Amino acid sequence: MLKKLKLLKNWKVGKGTSRENEAGRLFRFKYAAFRMLLDSNTKLLQIISDLEEKLRGQQVFGMSYVRTEAGWALFHCLRMVKSLDDLSHHRYPRLFEVVKMIEGKIQEEMGRKKEPGPAELILTYDRINREMIDWVGGKNANLGEMRSRLRLPIPEGFCITIGGFTTFLSHNELLEKINARKMEIDPGRPETIAESSREIQRLISSAEVPEEMEAAIKGAYDEMLGRINAGKIKVGSLRVSVRSSATREDSTLTFAGQYLSVLNVPGDGLITAYKEVIASLYTPAAIAYRLNKGIMDEDIAMSIACLEMIGSVASGVIYTRHPFNFLEDNIFITAVWGLGPYAVEGRVTPDSYVVDKDDTSTILSTVVSHKPVQLVNLPEGGLQEIQVEPQKQDAPCLSPGQVSALAEYALILEKHYSHPQDIEWALDGDGRLLLLQSRPLKVGSAEYEKRSVPAASRYPVLLKGGAVACPGVGCGPAFCVNSEEDLMAFPEGAVLVARHSSPKFVLAMGKARAIITDVGGVAGHMASLAREFAVPTILDTKIATAIITTGMEITVDAYSGVVYRGTVPELLSLQKTIQSPMKDTPVYEVLRRVADLVVPLNLTDPRAPNFAPDFCATLHDVGRLVHELSYTEMFQIGDLASKREGFAVKLDAHIPLDLYVIDLGGGIASHRAGSSKVKIEDVASAPFNAVLRGMTHGDFRSPQVRPVDFEGFFSVMREQMTAPPPTAERFGERSFAIVADNYVNFSSRVGYHYSVLDSYCGPNVDTNYINFSFKGGAADLVRRNRRVRAISLILAKLDFTVDCQGDLVTGRIQKYGCDLLMEKLDLLGRLLLYTRQMDMLMKDEESVSAVAGNFLSGNYSLD
Amino acid sequence: MHRIRLLLVDDEDDFRTTLASRLRRRNFDVTEVDNGYGAIEAVKKGNIEVAIVDVKMPGIDGLETLRQMRTADPLIEVILLTGHASVESGVEGMRLGAFDYLIKPCDINDLVGRIGDAFQRRLVQEGT
Repeated sequence: MLKKLKLLKNWKVGKGTSRENEAGRLFRFKYAAFRMLLDSNTKLLQIISDLEEKLRGQQVFGMSYVRTEAGWALFHCLRMVKSLDDLSHHRYPRLFEVVKMIEGKIQEEMGRKKEPGPAELILTYDRINREMIDWVGGKNANLGEMRSRLRLPIPEGFCITIGGFTTFLSHNELLEKINARKMEIDPGRPETIAESSREIQRLISSAEVPEEMEAAIKGAYDEMLGRINAGKIKVGSLRVSVRSSATREDSTLTFAGQYLSVLNVPGDGLITAYKEVIASLYTPAAIAYRLNKGIMDEDIAMSIACLEMIGSVASGVIYTRHPFNFLEDNIFITAVWGLGPYAVEGRVTPDSYVVDKDDTSTILSTVVSHKPVQLVNLPEGGLQEIQVEPQKQDAPCLSPGQVSALAEYALILEKHYSHPQDIEWALDGDGRLLLLQSRPLKVGSAEYEKRSVPAASRYPVLLKGGAVACPGVGCGPAFCVNSEEDLMAFPEGAVLVARHSSPKFVLAMGKARAIITDVGGVAGHMASLAREFAVPTILDTKIATAIITTGMEITVDAYSGVVYRGTVPELLSLQKTIQSPMKDTPVYEVLRRVADLVVPLNLTDPRAPNFAPDFCATLHDVGRLVHELSYTEMFQIGDLASKREGFAVKLDAHIPLDLYVIDLGGGIASHRAGSSKVKIEDVASAPFNAVLRGMTHGDFRSPQVRPVDFEGFFSVMREQMTAPPPTAERFGERSFAIVADNYVNFSSRVGYHYSVLDSYCGPNVDTNYINFSFKGGAADLVRRNRRVRAISLILAKLDFTVDCQGDLVTGRIQKYGCDLLMEKLDLLGRLLLYTRQMDMLMKDEESVSAVAGNFLSGNYSLD
Repeated sequence: MHRIRLLLVDDEDDFRTTLASRLRRRNFDVTEVDNGYGAIEAVKKGNIEVAIVDVKMPGIDGLETLRQMRTADPLIEVILLTGHASVESGVEGMRLGAFDYLIKPCDINDLVGRIGDAFQRRLVQEGT
């Protein structure tokens, strides 16, 4: 920065018109362009490394990441091209077109396809069928299908369409506000999800529903009231349930329990409830779920189901087959007393019935559980948990006839959809069975089979039994979750232990090795999610939280339903790790296609005929080309100026680099001005001198250290320059040091390595810094990564702040006195030579610390 | 000694007045306006060398302001500022001839450095 301030000072005093000043002004202008170009080059490489990291599929990211990074990559690429345009006096106009073309392709890959919504804001179920899913969301489409085509019993109601949603959003300009908040999310930090969630939900709940839309909703409510009361003697007040019906709830993803339902809403509470449910698109759990599943978040939309509130006596879930055991093709029904939420939220362990698919009058098994509490409607609106009457607590919720009737409905639905179904049902006070929704059942992966799990009888069994919701083995320290805070703090690789199951646990499912709860049903929302995330899960253990404490090392066998204390090695081989959770998701696919236009480097050889604008297929190509051309331009400026001022001169020194120096002022002793070569002793730039001191350190000259002596090295180089063999690029590439009295920018592209060292060392401690980056290498990825880690270790030991991504390592140190920074620069000079020989030594993991250790102890022999 | 004549365009009064006074302390000659039309008028009157323009403003936005300012004075150097994390306007702005694009809040030293470089560029463009 001081550099810039200094430049500022320079031109301030130098607005004269003498020829010397003109030349100086031109050079400073080009130097500013060059600095800008270098700055963007560094940032572009960082983005590329980060994209490469994300392409491994291990880290979770959303579409806003893809858009932001692609946008910045484009920006920096364009900024480089513009800088080169200044630097070269418009010599490469074609590059602007190339960037524009790549930008067009990137935009195409990221392009959002918006289906035109329906004109109608409201639809009733007799007018809805499953083909209208894009207009009304999954839940409404299926409810409509049940009503209009299958004539199955569903509650009265109406749907507020996706058109209503977009009307609401655009009326309040919410979309761009929400997208801005989403940018703040760092998927690795749950607290940023919580923070953005809070803000987005506040935006939505404080937004206003347009007047005409509000009127349409009220009108639909009144008509519904009319339909219900028609033919009734006593006209009652009507309460509704307001439920989500989001798009993208397709057969491969369940979204189980991610969105809100507001139950028992009076007519005048409809609008508030509407906004509440819309806002639940952005609960922390829903955001995390979509991130983890790589869902294209930006075109998520929500339709709403407004249904007559049923005062359920009992309710539950039907699976038309076992959710993960393929051998069991029976109908599976769960039931609790009271309202439905308790059947899926894990508050109570439900009764379960298994019905023969071929003969629905045959109930194969009935398990009646203890159901101490239930959820009921309050007369004034809202819900309340109450005790179940003592005689009913351990009684079955359904009669055999009701079980068979539900099984019949389920069969109709499965047959109609030709896919196993997950159905919600309710039994009202008049004994009517109603269907509240039907959706595709997420069936477990075909991998599941009855495994022969080794008996681990030698290990202490902590608990046995419970209901397996997702089979598998998981091992790790237990972590008890009692609150949202616990969930936010959930550590990677732990086993989640909780009293109840909850769909909110999706926030930890990327990190959990297994889940154990005291209470919960395998047809609940969380069980669906656990299967989707392949987290081994045992529910309904009754005692898990009583005997397992946080920190206790446990092994969960969710094949057999056993939890062991300690690590059970016999079982660990059954532990599955998901290799790349993001791979194959829609967002990952977009990233991959976008990255194809950013990351690959095709222009590798500056001397090849294809090293030209027309051959740039990616932003990396453009950046590489521009970067190379910028040196050529700077070099030529040097040539021009050298007649008078001595720019771009060769450094004649005993170092294995073809090194040229460009002086910006005070970097080379004045009496050498005009020479075409300078020696080390002519260098006046303090930081550059320090680097050179390191590079000429005695230990790099001793013969046993370097098998090739320098005369030999240069003779090899000379030979190659007269008759370049195929490996010529290993040598012969120029390195540049752009220097001023207190400044050095030293970049070298040696072999396949590329390093940049940028430093300012002046009298003001606050503006002093060293930035060092090192990328690439000829060896395979594993070795490259090892080398990068060795360099990271060394830099960290030298007090640098280090960032390491893929094969790029960057280190920064700032605000130190000159003397200290010079010491570091000396060591970096040594490190630059040391790294040249590192590759071949990176044969195993131990060599990482060995190589780093040797360097730090001053042993540069790399034996 | 030449004082750079700066135009600062931002509808956020607090941000603009604070930044203007900090820039004046650094010996810049600062004119403030709170909208795009005013900015274009100021440029038409001449006397502006470098402009700092917020991207998101009511009325005409920063990009349109940039376009019209450069029509009025092709030599004007414009630094765009954005409070938004989205970079799309940055790419567009660079195409329209912005000198650079910075995210708010930006380091004052960075900004001063960029203004210096922008002015440097203007001087060279004037000469050619």
